[in-house]
Amino acid sequence: MTIQTTLPRINELGYYEMRLESIGGLGANLCGKLLGELGAVQLGLNAASFSSYGSEKRGSPVKAFIRYSAPTQEIRINSPVRHPDCLALFHEAMAGKLPVNAGVQRHCRVVINTALDGAAIRDRMQLSARDIYCVDALTLALQSKSRVNMVMLGAIARATGFIPLEVAKQAVIATLGSKAPELLGANLEGVQRGYDEVQLYHFDDERYPEIPFDSESEGWGWKTAPIGGVNPISGSSVRNDLSASREGYLPLFEPEKCIHCGLCDSTCPDMVFQFFPGELKGRKTMLNRGLDYRFCKGCLRCVDICPTHALTRGVEKEHPHPDYFTPVRDLLTPDLQQTHVGANSWVTSESPNEEILKKGGNV
Amino acid sequence: MKKQISLYESGNELAAVAAKQINYHVMGYYPITPSTQIAENLDLMKAQGLHDISLIAAEGEHSAAGICYGASTGGGRVFNATSANGLLYALEQLPVQSGTRFPMVMNVACRTVSGPLSIKGDHSDIMMMLNCGWIILFANSVQMVYDYNLIGLKLAETVNLPVAVAFDGFFTSHQKRRCMIFEKDQDVQDYIGPVKKRTDILDTEHPVTIGSYMNEPDLINNKYQLHEAMEQVFNEIEPLFEEFKELSGRPQHLVETYRAEEAKVVIFALGSTYHTLKEAVDQLRKEEIEVGAVTLTMIRPFPKAQLIEKIAHAETLIVLDRQDSYGAQGGNMSLEIRAALQEAKLDCEVYTRIYGLGGKDFYYEEAVKLVKDCLGQDLPRFDYLQISEGQPVSNPEYFKPLTAEDTELGLTQCRLNDQGQLQVQGGQIAATTAMPKRLAPGHGACPGCGIPVNVNLLLRGIEGVVVLLFQTGCGMVVTTSYPKTSFKVPYLHNLFQNGAATVAGLAEMFHQRQKRGELPEGDITFIMISGDGGMDIGLGSAIGAALRNDAFILMEYDNGGYMNTGYQLSYSTPMGARSSTSHIGKTQYGKTFVNKDTPQIMAAAGAQYVATVAESQPADFLKKAAKAQYYAKNKGFVYLKALSACPLNWADVPSQERKVIQAAVDCGYFPLYEIEEGITLINYNPEKNGKQIPAIDWLKMMGRTRHLGKPEYAEVVGHIQKEIDKRWTRLKARAESDVL
Repeated sequence: MTIQTTLPRINELGYYEMRLESIGGLGANLCGKLLGELGAVQLGLNAASFSSYGSEKRGSPVKAFIRYSAPTQEIRINSPVRHPDCLALFHEAMAGKLPVNAGVQRHCRVVINTALDGAAIRDRMQLSARDIYCVDALTLALQSKSRVNMVMLGAIARATGFIPLEVAKQAVIATLGSKAPELLGANLEGVQRGYDEVQLYHFDDERYPEIPFDSESEGWGWKTAPIGGVNPISGSSVRNDLSASREGYLPLFEPEKCIHCGLCDSTCPDMVFQFFPGELKGRKTMLNRGLDYRFCKGCLRCVDICPTHALTRGVEKEHPHPDYFTPVRDLLTPDLQQTHVGANSWVTSESPNEEILKKGGNV
Repeated sequence: MKKQISLYESGNELAAVAAKQINYHVMGYYPITPSTQIAENLDLMKAQGLHDISLIAAEGEHSAAGICYGASTGGGRVFNATSANGLLYALEQLPVQSGTRFPMVMNVACRTVSGPLSIKGDHSDIMMMLNCGWIILFANSVQMVYDYNLIGLKLAETVNLPVAVAFDGFFTSHQKRRCMIFEKDQDVQDYIGPVKKRTDILDTEHPVTIGSYMNEPDLINNKYQLHEAMEQVFNEIEPLFEEFKELSGRPQHLVETYRAEEAKVVIFALGSTYHTLKEAVDQLRKEEIEVGAVTLTMIRPFPKAQLIEKIAHAETLIVLDRQDSYGAQGGNMSLEIRAALQEAKLDCEVYTRIYGLGGKDFYYEEAVKLVKDCLGQDLPRFDYLQISEGQPVSNPEYFKPLTAEDTELGLTQCRLNDQGQLQVQGGQIAATTAMPKRLAPGHGACPGCGIPVNVNLLLRGIEGVVVLLFQTGCGMVVTTSYPKTSFKVPYLHNLFQNGAATVAGLAEMFHQRQKRGELPEGDITFIMISGDGGMDIGLGSAIGAALRNDAFILMEYDNGGYMNTGYQLSYSTPMGARSSTSHIGKTQYGKTFVNKDTPQIMAAAGAQYVATVAESQPADFLKKAAKAQYYAKNKGFVYLKALSACPLNWADVPSQERKVIQAAVDCGYFPLYEIEEGITLINYNPEKNGKQIPAIDWLKMMGRTRHLGKPEYAEVVGHIQKEIDKRWTRLKARAESDVL
């Protein structure tokens, strides 16, 4: 099934461009691949697609890029999409923390996985775009027993205005039909729900400015960086705020239940727990004074290990500012200027992870 | 024309498809980004029964190249794929392949070489290969990766030289494009034809000696033959191109040009950037600037006559080099093009610009600006593009450097008691929270990752000043992502096969400088951290340190695979586990051989103290950390192995990892024991305390091995259990003996 598609708009080089912003584990990479493939195979367009490159980390920021052109036009550039015609945000928590809307211009159609309405999310993210498409992909994915990327695919198809629902479904059947046939029905349901239930909000007031796309690294350059790549600023990763890596949950602390056994500190990969010398029942000992939530990625190892349930699983949305925030014990700079990052880096390859996770792990 | 079908795939996938269609006899490889997907895809197709290539995952690229060389002397077809440091590690094998004249095809997904370590694309690896006697084809598109993999093999077998098919890492290796492939594998095999008669060591009726020792009367003649074979390429390749065009409809050119005829300005770039240049040319032409673009699709032999023919009319030539031959004022393409122009007595202004290093994106606007700048001003002939001066960054001191007093707290102490036995005091989990962390938070490990847990547990039990070395792996990537670092103590990274040697050198420098009074008295504990992949490729270096009895601690975090690059199998991956190079399918069940018993290897190499540690037994872990420090200070080399959780690739629940580790200990896959100066002691005996479980109970906890619970894998599980039982029985026998 190949149809002849006319792109609704093209940039100065003749391309229609999309950018997907996500964190690892939500399937944006696969969604990008599907969009590229359906463009090339079913829409009769020329297409190219790729993801941001790097080492492979769960919870790290991922970008996927899709470029379409008329079938007669070769796609000659391979650089990232700076000014997308369609931007999709897979993970609401990234919004406002990472520069996911850089380079977005007024005409861009922004698709967001959010439970909020267009006005609320626009204000939160200070979006410059006129057209904002909201879809509660997490809820729809749960209801359809599908995944966020399937719902988003349906919503994106709708938002672009030139990808028919059937084409999106065909792409899913072609790619996932043989790999995970038992999940196909649910996945197609997810695509359908995304397509049907995405809501458009239109704004003409140009309330927020366009954010420029800036790929230059700030900080050290050839005149100022120590030679040899040597890094003399020890422990500087403390400037990273990792909270964008959390997938909706975080540990909550009830100190009155805590017996200060230290097991949480022994299992925490992220050095979140802060123990200070103190006294317990007249005996000098180390006491758990709380958590530095800026570094907590929400793995909940501590909740699992805590023998007295002093640590329990909380929903992040319900606890935007959890109690017992305690900054890192030996930090010399209390007014830390941090930047939000995910677990660092990107996605390199389509390893079997996606498949394994679907079948075995938690997503 | 043969029938073709269209695919929407990346360069790596197309290289794999070509290899599958050719149905090579043997592929020796070692996973390295960004070429890894080639082996991954071939493994996936193998699992589906789509080809018969024997895929051999070596323990390093040097061995991979050795496997390829050996196989190629046996008269069949051989394939490899690598990148960057992998290519450099294999480098000494490459002139042997060409000098003894055995054809093969190796794909090189080009990437920058260390250090500093980076995994992104540029041409600094492939240019190291220029003098190896290999034909080097350079594909600038996904389609061309496929085409050149087919033409390349035929060319290799025509002139008896090995061929490298190079292409841009990521830009070409990972971007998906629509391309055409031959529908029938048979058509590909008919095009390539049967293997031609050549030197074949397996033709035992005609015994040959390969690899003679050769002195000065003869060696130069051998090299002249190699030179002649290279020259022969120019005669052979055009007919091959012609034949391929008849089959595919796709013409091929050693020199490709775009609007370059009559152009006053010509801009050159290799690889995918050539297409970006076309975009720039069109923009500049709109402004009536007479500019064209040119590229080469073969750089060895260097087609200078063909290139000169295309650019002879140019008044200005701008060469973009994606690597630098430092100190030569140009990358290798610049240098060779300038030499060709000089030889042709052409008077042309040549500007060289180094760009795009470490995968820096190159936008067409940058090319437009560069051309205008070169025309408008008197610019230096050589310069770098895209560099930035930077800001003077004022970084506050985040942490006070940790002194001996800060960290000698007496929380965990290992001493000889009155009976002359080692005894550890302290090491309590609660009390040792007082030990300052040597790592700062803010690292980028995945949620629930075991690496920081294990490193922190080790360092919690180590008192005093430490210097750390990490080999390449997840542990170093997530902690030292420039311009930030998680280390509060001195830290060094080195290549992944060489960490133990590096610590050995460093520790010796410490002792020498202290001996000469250049450093104050006091101790430093040197600690090396490696993944299990590093203990494959770096095993030789680690054994060397053990044999020399170098005084440091080597801790391996074993997460059972190359997790940083998408989970390829290592020799420590459990048997039966699914990985991206051990897929499950109708002809495969996952990894085919049992996990390496590294502690026994290191003990046999003479390590003074060997111990296995697990986060599920943190008190035991701390005790062993203290003992390790005692041994490193007083006796010599120490090896520790921690089983380290990887929620991403084990495909299990991050919060449950300690339970998964406990199950690995309880089923005997990862027994907790120590070997002090050759004497074995079991520290935790699940058999005695009634905790013993069958291996399958542990394997079913992880997505990577969950399939083993199905009845069709009963035999595999039986094999795994048997191996565990065998190792456990032998371990018990050792523990019972006074001398083992």
